[in-house]
Amino acid sequence: MTTEHQTVQETGPDRSPDARKATDLGGLAIAAGLFVLAALIAWDGSTYPIRRSYAQFGPEIFPYIVAAGLAIFGVATVIMGLRGGFPERENVNWPAVSWIVSAVVAKIVLLYSGAGFIIGAGALFGFAARGLGRKPLWLTVLVGVCVTTLLYVLFRHGLGLSLPAGPLERIIDLPFRR
Amino acid sequence: MDTFLLLLDGLLVAAQPANLMFALIGVLLGTAVGVMPGIGPALTVALLLPISLSFGATGSLIMFAGIYYGGMYGGAISSILLNTPGETASIMTAVEGNKMARDGRGGKALGAAAIGSFVGAMVGTLGLAIVSPFMVRVALSFGPAEYFALMVLSFVTVSAAFGGSVARGLTALFIGLTIGLVGIDKLTGQARLSFGVPELRDNISIAIVAVGLFAIGETLYIASRTTAVVDKVEAIKGSVWLSLTDLKRCLAPYARGAGLGFLFGPLPTGGAEIPTFLSYSAERKAARGQAREEFEGPKGAIEGVAGPEAANNASAAGTLIPLLTLGLPTSATAAMMLAGFQQYGLQPGPLLFTNNPALVWGLVASLFIANIMLVVLNLPFVGVWVRLLMIPRPWLYAGILTFATLGIIGSQGSVFSLVLLLGFGLVGFVMRRFGYPLAPVLVGAILGPLAEEQLRRGLMINQGDWTFLWTSTIALVIYAVAAAAIFGPVLWRLLAKDKSKTAFAMDGD
Repeated sequence: MTTEHQTVQETGPDRSPDARKATDLGGLAIAAGLFVLAALIAWDGSTYPIRRSYAQFGPEIFPYIVAAGLAIFGVATVIMGLRGGFPERENVNWPAVSWIVSAVVAKIVLLYSGAGFIIGAGALFGFAARGLGRKPLWLTVLVGVCVTTLLYVLFRHGLGLSLPAGPLERIIDLPFRR
Repeated sequence: MDTFLLLLDGLLVAAQPANLMFALIGVLLGTAVGVMPGIGPALTVALLLPISLSFGATGSLIMFAGIYYGGMYGGAISSILLNTPGETASIMTAVEGNKMARDGRGGKALGAAAIGSFVGAMVGTLGLAIVSPFMVRVALSFGPAEYFALMVLSFVTVSAAFGGSVARGLTALFIGLTIGLVGIDKLTGQARLSFGVPELRDNISIAIVAVGLFAIGETLYIASRTTAVVDKVEAIKGSVWLSLTDLKRCLAPYARGAGLGFLFGPLPTGGAEIPTFLSYSAERKAARGQAREEFEGPKGAIEGVAGPEAANNASAAGTLIPLLTLGLPTSATAAMMLAGFQQYGLQPGPLLFTNNPALVWGLVASLFIANIMLVVLNLPFVGVWVRLLMIPRPWLYAGILTFATLGIIGSQGSVFSLVLLLGFGLVGFVMRRFGYPLAPVLVGAILGPLAEEQLRRGLMINQGDWTFLWTSTIALVIYAVAAAAIFGPVLWRLLAKDKSKTAFAMDGD
């Protein structure tokens, strides 16, 4: 049973070896994110009403500690970014990543618009499989809808989990009603 | 002899048909996810967390423990046949195990691994049953200062032991602590970091965090890689049943591995990585004659599989000691199990043993049962598990994503939770790409609110005087250990420069 299976390979040149020691912009972006988060927590903490208690410290004390920690490691992240302290990274396969993100976004949009679990999750399944290299899209979505129909019956009627219902679900629910 | 009476009571709980079924589901799922590289027991527990709410506390915890143990068994299979460890715990198994598989002795390696896992888990579980009551007695004397110190220790060691950098580990921890802050403050009712969003006011569910970071983040990471991964699955050659001479060669490694695993499991050093490494190097040093040749040549020595496999299962059992007696998780999977307890309003710790003995001892007893199930599932049926390695990745990951979102939407009931899930997925993806460990985020998010509670309770008792944190001797000792944990890994990394190629999703399962 000797088999080989391959993951997707789409476009994207190999990473250039001389791009290493230079300033890591991605790392600096993470540091910026940490500083923003720290500032947000500190600002949020400053808006709490002052309380008098035996502890002398209210709900703001722990957020301040966390904000300070984030700021300190933000500085450490800046240093890592400047000195190339992050591990080497491969180039991102952006088409594949976009497919996966849009898979989740598609499900969110479909659920908000009331399409129901089966169609929403079916789209998610199809987009995700497409993102990892399976084509064509209509086939993956079709497989997805079959899988999610099965999952819906299993979890909604087998385990009693409440899942968002749309037109398809209401039809499936009919025979289960007494 | 109290322990054995309690354990017998536990056995009655564990032997109930429903609980036997949960144990079986757990070990089946655990082995399956252990086999598949990229999915680990922590993710599986996270995925099942929302769905398991209808199973009851005892049933779902028995299932989670089964997943944990099963993951350790299954990890060996992909290590040996694929040379890609399913979990960090199986890295060392891959070294000799894959050599043996290429030498046509894959069956023997799998057999040695399964029996080693059995021995390790049995020794570890027995130790767990014996040691826990003593730990409980010690833990009963702990006050806020000691608990806060223990949590700091847990924070620090989880962050320092995983991943390549202490700074990145601690950054991940603070991100986790931030997540823990969101929502209503328990002591004052103050809404924190919720910005008027009602869904944020009642805390972010830990299931969303874990599933987002692990399932969504990992899928994004797998999809993002441009280089093709070619996995070569070795066929199982030779019988999985060991001959008497093989068994004799394995006995000493089993004993040493189980001992090491059990010693290191309870320490907050981040799971099974260290004991398996120590066990491997001990076997290599102890090897004489034929074994020595096999270690150095391309053939692969059975001792190098036996020791680490006994060690990783024993450490899984050891990990449950601080989890059950102190409420401290020392690995990602243990952190998810803690979330499982919290889901039912249970807080592991000394009080759990007195208030809920049926659950605790039922869980411990079920571990023995799960272990027997696992050795049966893994020896004769190993070929079935190997087939799992053949599932095409697009279907596999599409299925994981579907299941992940199903669990979250089903338990949270709001589409907004999926928005959060995607957000954590993107955070997890960026963290994975930049070499941040994910386990500290979980531990921070779960333990953060508990640590805050202890700190503020201590401050209240002591009327705002911070010095209470440093006046307890026990607490001081714990802080000293925590300091050592920060600097220890630096030394450790110098010793263990050689990291074999791995494809594990999580750090420290």
